Amino acid sequence: MKIELKKFGTTLLSRQSGKESLLAFLPSLEKISKDEIVEIDFDGVVTFSPSWGEEFLKPLYDKYGNRLVLLESKNPSVLVTLEMLEEINEFKFSRSRH
Amino acid sequence: MEKEYISIGKAAKILGITTMTLRRWDKSGKFSAIRTPSGRRMYSVKQIKSLISAPIFSSATEWVLSSTPTEPEEKFYCQTSSVFQNKIIELEKKLAGVSGTESIYPLIVAAAGEIGNNSFDHNIGNWPDIVGIFFGYDLEKRQIVLADRGQGILKTLKRVKPELETQEQALKVAFTEIISGRAPEERGNGLKFVRKIVPIAGIELFFQTGSAVVKITKKNNDLIVGHNNKSFRGCLVSIKF
Repeated sequence: MKIELKKFGTTLLSRQSGKESLLAFLPSLEKISKDEIVEIDFDGVVTFSPSWGEEFLKPLYDKYGNRLVLLESKNPSVLVTLEMLEEINEFKFSRSRH
Repeated sequence: MEKEYISIGKAAKILGITTMTLRRWDKSGKFSAIRTPSGRRMYSVKQIKSLISAPIFSSATEWVLSSTPTEPEEKFYCQTSSVFQNKIIELEKKLAGVSGTESIYPLIVAAAGEIGNNSFDHNIGNWPDIVGIFFGYDLEKRQIVLADRGQGILKTLKRVKPELETQEQALKVAFTEIISGRAPEERGNGLKFVRKIVPIAGIELFFQTGSAVVKITKKNNDLIVGHNNKSFRGCLVSIKF
């Protein structure tokens, strides 16, 4: 499954919005099969922050571990945010090119 | 010849606020009117001009330092987080068109977003007087200003690090230490993120909470916490880009 973050908005900043986005998406996550890869696509996102990322990506990492794969992004706010999330949580996201 | 005094209706129109706000400001002494013999409020054109052209940082400083709690001017006031989200999306759109920021503006917006959202996250339900934040920017001067009259970093950080004693210690921790563990409150690491952004985006950051101050620039990313004699309870921030 590929999750396109732009479908939650292009300015992803607050904790509250991150939480609400994940909650709204939970029913779609139920369709994911046992060994399926869950890809996160940042294309179209303009601004991304650690608060939103922590609320949305961290629970997905906790659930899927290395099956959660972040697709490459050149957006500087995505890059610095992911670095920050990895530092805070002491883990490394799996990454892949498109 | 230009009139020296104008009616409350005209003053409100020029300032882009309601006459009710002007009456409230007059009562609180924030922006006083003079009265005609019949009791009508009149406003000095000179004072109105100076209010319009006041630098944003001075307006925010005056607001956080004021001993009389009043709401900021409407154009700067975000009473709720959703108002702030709308205003920051507006800023994002405008910044995209500012020369020299094309490749870094998402970082500037993310930094301002983390700072503003921190104010809401850590003060929700506990604002000591004015609910919400001051958020303004001047794209010509390339400056963004945020402020709150919240509890300040020491008080909110003490919930997870009770050993903290001074505002200076708290500000240093907020910028340098990863706060892990979410209990007893969801604690962001927003200021560590902002510090990371400063050298990458080449911005200048000023942050004051209580009497504790930090200034970080691209050239000087060391975190030296200074002291300001003009102390206040919340936070005051300037981002220059």
